[in-house]
Amino acid sequence: MRLFFAIIVCKLLRFIGKLAGKGSSLPGQYALKICPDALGRVKLPPCVIAVTGSNGKTSTVEMIAAILRKSGRTVVYNEEGSNQIEGVATLILCSSSLSGRMRGDVLLLESDERYARRTFRWFHPTHFVITNLYRDQLTRNGHPEWVYNAILPAIHPETTLALNADDPLVSLFAQGHENVKWFGLEECSVSTKEHHGVYHDGARCPACQGRMEYSCYHYEHIGHYQCADCGYRRHETDFAVTALDLERGTLTIDGDTEISLAFKSIYNVYNILAAWSVCSLAGVDKETMASVINNYILKNGRMVRFTLGEHHGTLLTSKHENSVAYDTNLNYIARAKAPCQALIIVDAISRKYFTGETSWLWDIDFDQLNCEQVKKIILCGKYVHDLAMRFDYTAIPAEKISCYDAVPQAAAALAEDGGREDLYVVTCFSDRDKLLNLVKKEEG
Amino acid sequence: MKLTIAHLYPDSMSLYGEYANIAVLRRHLEAMGVEAAVRNFTCEDPPDFSDADFIYMGAGTERRQKSVLIAAPRCAPALKAAAENGAVILFTGNAMETLGASVTDAAGKVWPGYGLADFTTVETDQRTPGDVVASPVLWDAPAVGFMNKCSVTHGIAAPLFHSLPLGFGNDAEHGAEGYVSGNVFATHLTGPALVKNPDFLDLVIRRLFALKGWEVPERLPVLPHEREAYAVTLRELEARIK
Repeated sequence: MRLFFAIIVCKLLRFIGKLAGKGSSLPGQYALKICPDALGRVKLPPCVIAVTGSNGKTSTVEMIAAILRKSGRTVVYNEEGSNQIEGVATLILCSSSLSGRMRGDVLLLESDERYARRTFRWFHPTHFVITNLYRDQLTRNGHPEWVYNAILPAIHPETTLALNADDPLVSLFAQGHENVKWFGLEECSVSTKEHHGVYHDGARCPACQGRMEYSCYHYEHIGHYQCADCGYRRHETDFAVTALDLERGTLTIDGDTEISLAFKSIYNVYNILAAWSVCSLAGVDKETMASVINNYILKNGRMVRFTLGEHHGTLLTSKHENSVAYDTNLNYIARAKAPCQALIIVDAISRKYFTGETSWLWDIDFDQLNCEQVKKIILCGKYVHDLAMRFDYTAIPAEKISCYDAVPQAAAALAEDGGREDLYVVTCFSDRDKLLNLVKKEEG
Repeated sequence: MKLTIAHLYPDSMSLYGEYANIAVLRRHLEAMGVEAAVRNFTCEDPPDFSDADFIYMGAGTERRQKSVLIAAPRCAPALKAAAENGAVILFTGNAMETLGASVTDAAGKVWPGYGLADFTTVETDQRTPGDVVASPVLWDAPAVGFMNKCSVTHGIAAPLFHSLPLGFGNDAEHGAEGYVSGNVFATHLTGPALVKNPDFLDLVIRRLFALKGWEVPERLPVLPHEREAYAVTLRELEARIK
């Protein structure tokens, strides 16, 4: 009876909330007060897929949903990104009949990495994808091993894990777990023998702290590794990108399926592979997966094209406090062919909480912008001096760099500089609208 | 003029951009005509710090700190000898904890530290990350920065900061923080603490000049953006306190 009331209240509050334009956490929060074990009582669909990790959750989940829907399955998922237990409760209860049976063939969840254990106390996914663990919002997440410890209790013995074999810390989840499937990238055109990046979180073995050796790096600490002390090593993969040409924008999965990339980023490659792996495990055929994922343009708006003055602009949404997200976007600019300018904005470090912490700037490999086609670099925002100081410790010539305290000043200077170079903007959700409100957005 | 910097275990203890402390110190020393050589150590290296004028260790994860503590008994005599010879030593983040008598982990296991001081640390399963404004004992301007700790440290009589207007001290909210004894400095401030606090950097430089017997110039170099960046962070954090 409590479940019945919880579902009614949840649906009612959601209905009112939608009219009022409110978020999706509150209905679930109230429903869980009425029936704390509601998520354990609802009859869920036979397939429950969860995705967690530091980066790529939203994109991966979006592609999984698109593939599963194309395959004819009905998918319920948290498109609005409410990935903590209250948001998940809203999603599940609002998708359930009053008798407590959830509609749909698949429940698909983007799960917050720190709070997954709260959600999965009541039910467990049939498939759990873990994409990667990086330094991400250390101000609230602690550090990657702390996040690892937070995810561990969320893993049920019966769940099939789909793990990124190229991430040594993520691979550690397989220890003591029977059902594990692996995805990874074979040595390919992006692989290097030397480590690139300002810091190396893979230098030490996550299992024994011994010295790690890499036969190749794909980026940062992601690659093919083996511990010299305990033998902990990259696992053989069940799903692999066997060839990759980022210049041309193509990748090959398992040696026989070529996919074109709408966004030529190594991130996108891993997100596609993660989506491919779990959809394959869910029984979708290769042809269907390939047809959806080929040239797939993400709808989550992480990349925005616009015009500012004579400049054709591309905003690459990064995440402050996440050096890997920055590095990936800087790498995208470094691979550009045409002359360009780069604008970096650090104004509000977070949109959700206050912090003045800027040490993450020192983890970003800004030297990637030290290339011929990057003609000018504009730094701006409240923390412009922290940024400028960081750039003083790169090899980028000082005459290429200019600084502004506020976004409107930087935008005005760019609008009036008469230049026609491409403009790449790297910043976070917390700051990007400060620029997007001043430019003319392009469609598509 | 030349001096030597020993950077301890950067492959394990570099969680928050700590290398920047070494970079900014070198840049300032260069501006004063001092050539600084940096030697990076791993836990497996022989602990020979006899030629080191400045010894630095940054923060790591709890597991990586334990891998440092496993090697601590072997390295402690060399570190103690360096301290007795007046080397300037700075340990930041949870590296600070290793200087003391012991660290008790969340499971209750006791790990002996380097024993340069007799304070003790107990880890908890709760993190207290947060911005920090600290009142220094040895210089005037408030220090700014960030802490990301899951521990409490007891038994420090001579702290580096006598109180924290914002943040969690050694064992209490707003309480005294860090440790200082002669040229040995420790604070749980993470990351580029010297970059963010130009006065702290100047103090380290003065101590190094004194150690080497060099005359300290009346004015130390000020490099672009350093003071401005500090002022912005302090302004934002003080507004937060109010």
